[in-house]
Amino acid sequence: MAEIAESPSTTEHPLGTVGASRSKASSSALRESDVDPKTMRTTTPGLKRLFLTFSVLLSFLLGFPFLWKTVEIYRSPLPFGDMDALSKQIESSPLQFPCHFQSVFLNFDSRSSGGILDPRELRSSILSEMTKLTSQTLERQCGSCGENFTLSVVVDSGDRACRQSDERHGNGLTPNCSYKCGALGALNLGDGEAVDEALRSALDESCSDYGGKLYTVVVVNGDGAGEGPKALVGKHRHGWISGRELDAEAMIGRMAEMFVKIFMNGGREDGAIHGEFMPVGADGRVVLSFSLLNANPDDWFYDWDFQKLDDTLLNPVIEALKPIANISVESQVLYHTPKSSFSYWDESLGSYIFSTKDLPFFVNSNEWHLDTSVAAGGRTKILQFVVYVPSANECPLSLQLPSGEISKTNGFISPMWGGVMVWNPQSCIKYSGSGPPARLLMHPDDLHRIFEVLMGQLRQLFGLKSDSIYVGAADVLSRQHTCFNLHSSGTTLGSLSRLVQSLPRMIIKDEIGKQVKFSLEAAQLAQTNASVGLYEASAASSRQARSLAEDAFFHPSIMSVSYFSFEHCFAVYSPFFLPVSLHVLLAALREWRRYKQEKAKYVRWKVKQVKAA
Amino acid sequence: MTIQIRKGKRATEPQCLGSQRSLNSEDLLFPNQTGDSKAAVYFQLSNGRFRPPPAHRLIAHHIVDTIAPIFFRVSRTMWLPLRLTLLLLFLLLSPRALLRSGSAAVVSGEEEEFHEELLLKPLPDRKVLAHFHFHSIAPPSKSNGRHHHLFPKAISQLVQKFRVKEMELSFTQGRWNYERWGGFDPISSNNAKPPGVELWAVFDVPEDQVDAYWKNLTNSLSGLFCASINFLESSTMYSAPKWSFRITPGRLRYGTLPREAVCTENLTPWLKLLPCRDKAGLAALLDRPSIYKGFYHSQRLYLTSNASVPAETVSGISLEQTLTVVLQPNSPSSSSIHSGESNFQPSWSLSSIFGRKISGKCVLAQSSIVYLQLEKSIFSEQKDNMDNGPNSLASEGFAGGSGFEMSLDPDIVIEEENQSQHKGSSVLYGFWVEKYNESQPFDLGLKWKYPVFWSSRQAPLHASRFLMGSGNERGAIAILFKSANSADSSSGSRHVSDGCELQVDVFQVVPWYIKVYYHSLQIFVDDEAKPIGDFVHKIQVSPSKDKTSPGMMEMLLKLPCDVRSAALTLEFDKGFLHIDEYPPDANQGYDIPSAVISFPSFHSVMHLLSNDSIRKSPLLSRFQEKNRVQSYTEVLLVPLTTPDFSMPYNVITITCTVFALFFGSLLNVLRRRVGEEERYLKAGKKKGWLRVLLSRLLAKLRGKPMEEPDQPSSESAPLIGKKLVLKVILVAVLAVAWQFYST
Repeated sequence: MAEIAESPSTTEHPLGTVGASRSKASSSALRESDVDPKTMRTTTPGLKRLFLTFSVLLSFLLGFPFLWKTVEIYRSPLPFGDMDALSKQIESSPLQFPCHFQSVFLNFDSRSSGGILDPRELRSSILSEMTKLTSQTLERQCGSCGENFTLSVVVDSGDRACRQSDERHGNGLTPNCSYKCGALGALNLGDGEAVDEALRSALDESCSDYGGKLYTVVVVNGDGAGEGPKALVGKHRHGWISGRELDAEAMIGRMAEMFVKIFMNGGREDGAIHGEFMPVGADGRVVLSFSLLNANPDDWFYDWDFQKLDDTLLNPVIEALKPIANISVESQVLYHTPKSSFSYWDESLGSYIFSTKDLPFFVNSNEWHLDTSVAAGGRTKILQFVVYVPSANECPLSLQLPSGEISKTNGFISPMWGGVMVWNPQSCIKYSGSGPPARLLMHPDDLHRIFEVLMGQLRQLFGLKSDSIYVGAADVLSRQHTCFNLHSSGTTLGSLSRLVQSLPRMIIKDEIGKQVKFSLEAAQLAQTNASVGLYEASAASSRQARSLAEDAFFHPSIMSVSYFSFEHCFAVYSPFFLPVSLHVLLAALREWRRYKQEKAKYVRWKVKQVKAA
Repeated sequence: MTIQIRKGKRATEPQCLGSQRSLNSEDLLFPNQTGDSKAAVYFQLSNGRFRPPPAHRLIAHHIVDTIAPIFFRVSRTMWLPLRLTLLLLFLLLSPRALLRSGSAAVVSGEEEEFHEELLLKPLPDRKVLAHFHFHSIAPPSKSNGRHHHLFPKAISQLVQKFRVKEMELSFTQGRWNYERWGGFDPISSNNAKPPGVELWAVFDVPEDQVDAYWKNLTNSLSGLFCASINFLESSTMYSAPKWSFRITPGRLRYGTLPREAVCTENLTPWLKLLPCRDKAGLAALLDRPSIYKGFYHSQRLYLTSNASVPAETVSGISLEQTLTVVLQPNSPSSSSIHSGESNFQPSWSLSSIFGRKISGKCVLAQSSIVYLQLEKSIFSEQKDNMDNGPNSLASEGFAGGSGFEMSLDPDIVIEEENQSQHKGSSVLYGFWVEKYNESQPFDLGLKWKYPVFWSSRQAPLHASRFLMGSGNERGAIAILFKSANSADSSSGSRHVSDGCELQVDVFQVVPWYIKVYYHSLQIFVDDEAKPIGDFVHKIQVSPSKDKTSPGMMEMLLKLPCDVRSAALTLEFDKGFLHIDEYPPDANQGYDIPSAVISFPSFHSVMHLLSNDSIRKSPLLSRFQEKNRVQSYTEVLLVPLTTPDFSMPYNVITITCTVFALFFGSLLNVLRRRVGEEERYLKAGKKKGWLRVLLSRLLAKLRGKPMEEPDQPSSESAPLIGKKLVLKVILVAVLAVAWQFYST
């Protein structure tokens, strides 16, 4: 581009091509020879070129947003606000389920306790006791009943009178769900099973699905029981306290404790695994994979009849846990599987010792081909239970606790992974016969013992404290599972929202948007269901919320980083826009400058003209 | 379900594909199919290894959110007593239970079985064939196949989940040399496989679901074997042969990946399916460097399940794992090979081939036998030479009188019973491995005393396939059959006569970008073009669909028995791929999978004198099965036109530059003040000679007389002009020098 900013120097052509005719007319006052062409001009500077360049520049500037829009990658609009709100809400206020408690005082004669038992009084005293307990033991635990519980008290004094506290209509239960007076006849208190069965039939539990579960504690005053008051928890949602000559007032504390510790809290105490780590897959399935590991089959190798174990012992547990998870079982025997930590011989203990410090290294992932199950889908949780048979040069192998004692179970668990147990053969004498060692079958008693330990581990993994899994505990687990699912979906959605917001050039497909939407809906539904007390529905929708949230988070399109990065965009468009924008900007700048210059000249001439006039 | 499995695959894939091909890849194979990444992280934690798995780096956000509490607890309290992290169990047990004995009983009855066998066979070209055969059997059980003692759990679950009736998966490196190593015996028919991966499976599901099951199966196998079998998922990669590949009809799917590199990371998961892995037993011989050094290496997995039983009781599964390697024994006298004594078979021992010895059997194996197979023709030669009485081959073999010597006495000698002819039959020496232990390892050696010759039995026709034509546009595939017994035409069960026909099945799959014109099929018999109808008895073609399905051709040829050579040619056009369909290293070319040539009227059977020990041996009973003689042709490499992959960017850049130039000049023209410039030019004092030249040129072009500029300006110009010329010349010289010396 030629440099033409200089004004014309010759007098023959003092004017620009623009407006030449006009200048003749306007320059009548001053003579043309007076005009210094370097500093002034007689005509108004033309606007044509200025207008042209600026319109080009402007159209570029206007077109830029359109371009930006066209190169924009597709991002499905996600409800970030809702997602964050959900995760915050679940963080701040754990889910609380409504629980209904009912206490029945059976065979309490007014005479025996020195006065007529007033259900209302009893109710208020139990309530105060319970609030005391909840406030001291629970730090707003997720999935518990919290303060959201109701209590009704029935005093059934045989055939004569049956008084109830009048709170029933308020708790959302249909009247026929609660205890009907006189339903419980004489109980043979010596036989726990019979009492359990009688209570089950008397307390019709089928209707306790709506509006939360109803838990009943019956205080039976009667013969047949032992001397002191004895508290038992049935297989279903009830427990009973029996004893002779019971004092109703004294039973209040006990009853409150039972309600809170067992039915509300599942008999668990602090220090157990936190409820957030419920080992249940997002699809509600769990695979229990049992492996028998023979460290060195050249020394000896054992086999087990797991089928029998499965049929007789494992099935009841699976049945009991059905509300929480759909559990399937598989087993295998592996060989040549040494552990990867070291053990040393301890003379005083008479065995090879591995200490708790070695536990992280015990599981030998190189040699233990425990194999995740092909049968399990992508979301199914797999819990590994490993029975380790040590080889001859490390037999017997024992776990030493930090206190220096030998662990009685000889096993340990790893949360969310499973459990390991070391089983030592009876005699650690290496097989020295001719030919290879024969296959040995574990004795059923041994198997039973192993099974007990493994079931203990399973309970620990599920966070249960008590020895058996009963319906009440399963309820607690189910509540916690719901809570955990919601919590998980909340955190997943929260981190998804943060991730998506932090990566502005990530493609978000519509599918993800849909999944997020449905997940949020399911979470809402779970929360409303939980607040009404629909445990099963709540668990189902919470599971759905979690799996959808994880679907969205682990969507393959999210995992792959967007190919259409900003660098790519730059590389494609810069060869055109860089030179062109240079042209346009420079032209606009020059024209503007020239216009100002020329304008100043003209003004100067005008001034001169005025002066001259 | 599909999605879940895919996810599982994706989660594992980075681990497998990212694995460097180290010899010990076991540590890479740990969480094999954890679709749940969190579980993997947990496991790492529980192992005390705190490096986060790289595949999950992107989801670290999420993981930190969900497992942060435990993660930090673990890392913080790592050195403290582990009470917090690994919760110990303190379940109280009764002392009675602790004291009680673990009394044991010997298991018997219907159980899962495992057999291991190894067949060694010297080959005519001074190589040694080692054929490992592992057989696991799971009997039909009512336990729903969930509890296993010996049988690999993964395989059983695979069979159940994908309703697999029959499946064969092979990983092969190298090509089986049919001419030298034989083409008629059971090993070459069953275990000679095309290079790369070959997978076929028969499903027990309705026809419309077969494809879905196949896709899921490929993904699962891909995770299980750390191979890219999942590429067979795409419908362009597999086909459904009707009758030529297998006689089993129906729900069969067949796919190959000729370019899959097979290495130790595929072997390790394969070994994982064995109860003893490579820790004990015959598999302990599998020293990775020595087996991958060989000429041919094929690991194979073949399973059948009798899926006809109702769904409640799970069918029994028979899993056959074979590993076939052809190795060159490096005998100490290898130097003599070049010095005239090239016909001397090298002496070898197990330790010289594999670098290891067998220290006892795998204790879990029902049987553990090593066989040495020798051709009978060796003995006949011996007989001729030594003039011994043909009384006992066995004693003759190792007694020292014959041409070879075995370092160990065989426990059993099995002769092949072949009444019709002498040639091709063989003798098997069996050795029980259980007699040996660590102090006395099994190390079989074979020493040749005299040079011996023999040739392996050949398939009736040698098949080879090659490409014709040149250029990137079109070409032709030719399959050439050559009679193997041209020299001794009397052999073969049929005698040359007019009515005699030789049946040949050809099964060929061609990827869609090779557009085969099936109408252009030509057949040449004994170098003469013949009408197709005379020889092609049956043909079935499913043409390829672009980006949907490969082309498949099944053909049954009936050739006269005295045919010397036959050739089939098919012309094809080379297609174009979309830019993102090109594989990495597209310039290498594209593979056409091997064609399968089988001879339905010939069966590779070993007739062994039936014996109890033979019936128990899965290897020998496999040899006694009637199988079609089958061979694979070469994989063809077709060069396709590959674009320059940086071309889009080049085009973009050039176009944009042109546009920018146009735009810029347009803008310039629009805002230029021509009159002013001309004035300026006339008055210009600093006008250089170049500009003058240019304006002159311009004037010439316009056909107008050039207005001469003022004299003084032209006078002052030369001084500058000279300098400029010098400068330009200097730059030009520099540029030429640079160009010259830099290249």
